[in-house]
Amino acid sequence: MGREFIEVLISGITNGSVYAVMAVGMALVYGVTKVFNFAYGSFYSMGGYFAWVVFGAKLGYPLVFVVVIPLLFLAGWLTEQLMIKPLRQRADWEMMAVMVTLGLALFLDNFYQAVFGPFVKSLPLLVEGDITAGGIVIAVQDITIFLVAFGIMIGFMLFLGKNTLGMAVRAVAQNMTGAQIVGVAKDRIFALTFAISAVLVGTAGILLAPKYFVSPFGGWVILVKAWVITAFGGMGSIKGSLYAAFILGIVEALVGWQLGFTWTMFAWFAVLLVTLIIRPQGLFGTWG
Amino acid sequence: MLEVDRIDACYGEFQVLKKVSLSVEEGEMKIVLGPNGHGKSTLLKTICGLIKPTAGAIRFKGRDITRLPSEKIVEMGVTYIAEDRELFPEMTVLENLKMGGYNRRARPRRARNLEYVFDLFPKLAGMKKRFASNLSGGEARMLAIARGLMSDAAFLAIDEPSLGLAPILRLEVLNKIKEIHRTGIGILLVESNIPQLVDIADRIYLMEEGELVFDGSRDEALNNPDIKEAFLGV
Repeated sequence: MGREFIEVLISGITNGSVYAVMAVGMALVYGVTKVFNFAYGSFYSMGGYFAWVVFGAKLGYPLVFVVVIPLLFLAGWLTEQLMIKPLRQRADWEMMAVMVTLGLALFLDNFYQAVFGPFVKSLPLLVEGDITAGGIVIAVQDITIFLVAFGIMIGFMLFLGKNTLGMAVRAVAQNMTGAQIVGVAKDRIFALTFAISAVLVGTAGILLAPKYFVSPFGGWVILVKAWVITAFGGMGSIKGSLYAAFILGIVEALVGWQLGFTWTMFAWFAVLLVTLIIRPQGLFGTWG
Repeated sequence: MLEVDRIDACYGEFQVLKKVSLSVEEGEMKIVLGPNGHGKSTLLKTICGLIKPTAGAIRFKGRDITRLPSEKIVEMGVTYIAEDRELFPEMTVLENLKMGGYNRRARPRRARNLEYVFDLFPKLAGMKKRFASNLSGGEARMLAIARGLMSDAAFLAIDEPSLGLAPILRLEVLNKIKEIHRTGIGILLVESNIPQLVDIADRIYLMEEGELVFDGSRDEALNNPDIKEAFLGV
């Protein structure tokens, strides 16, 4: 049991690191722009499909990231500028934004199905091979996924913490009027956060594509997962999402191992419900 | 330097400002008095681009800034210091000040401006790493003013700087504003009480129901029966 337990734990941490990337993206958009982006999962699929297309052109994974990340950035930017920004003049814009992003999700998913067909697409392993240490077998791919996800998180945190533009993003999240007073162009920050979140979740889509395939409607599970993680961590709290992603990644792996994977979402909702009953604002959330 | 030319402003259907005109030259300090809820804050927010006027024009250094987005107006040197402070609660004092110098013109001068504001507010220099959410009312007010100065402004719109402060702190804040005024920055300040600043004001206005109903020098203001009645209780 000991060895198997450690292998399960490692798989949980690996998935948790990718969940962290996508949950942080959702928390960012919600915290800064106050939009609940229903098309978030469709950007996850977009990452996977872009990667699949680029692989058709026979480029390796490093080039996939180089080509796909700017495309995701552009897709996120345009979504905000073309679909959300025009709504902001209206009093009921938050509800309108939900409807519009829901519409975008349905459009994109059906677009994927029409263009790529209803069947799943598979991508080759990120890296082949296993490492055996003390009888524990770890796929090199899992280590790679973890390192890439971890690197993205570090880069993202440095951007928010040290970079002038990153500070402006935090400023808008903490006090929109205050940000305007000091001369932050808030419309550009909204577009930027959408773009960054599309890159984060789309990259998560690339990282998990070799393990879980790419499918037209696969984004919905991701949307629900990202939502459970951010609600558990505290809506809009980036730190909370980070912890929540690893906790739920490990819960998923352990429950899947002991009870079977049909029980994992049930376990997530159970954890979320219990947390919200005790702390309605989530692990690190604050009211208002 | 700053010219407000017959501006109207509305919240929805409700007209808050009615044909308001005034001007502030370099190094001048002008004060708008008036009861709460009569449009004083709206006037300042409209000048700084946070609210768009429905009619009229605002010019700064000869350039029409009426339709410019607020970030462009800040970049030109017009800064609003809010009555509600509008600080960034989960940033430190130092980070708040750095954000104050966010606009492109002020950014290269951040280090020099930091030195200046710490000189002016030595108390803030001792609490650089404190989060803004952990400041007292007086400290938060000082930080809001200091953050405004970080923008390298040529014109400051200061909204009720002494509101909600204990008398001793009020005096301290007003003395700081006098010091800032001496550097030659144009200031438009609004207050609902006659502040101890009237003695250095170049002009005093009275705003009632969105209109400037009085406009005169300090002595004229202090002898005006309306102002006497409203603010001095005589």
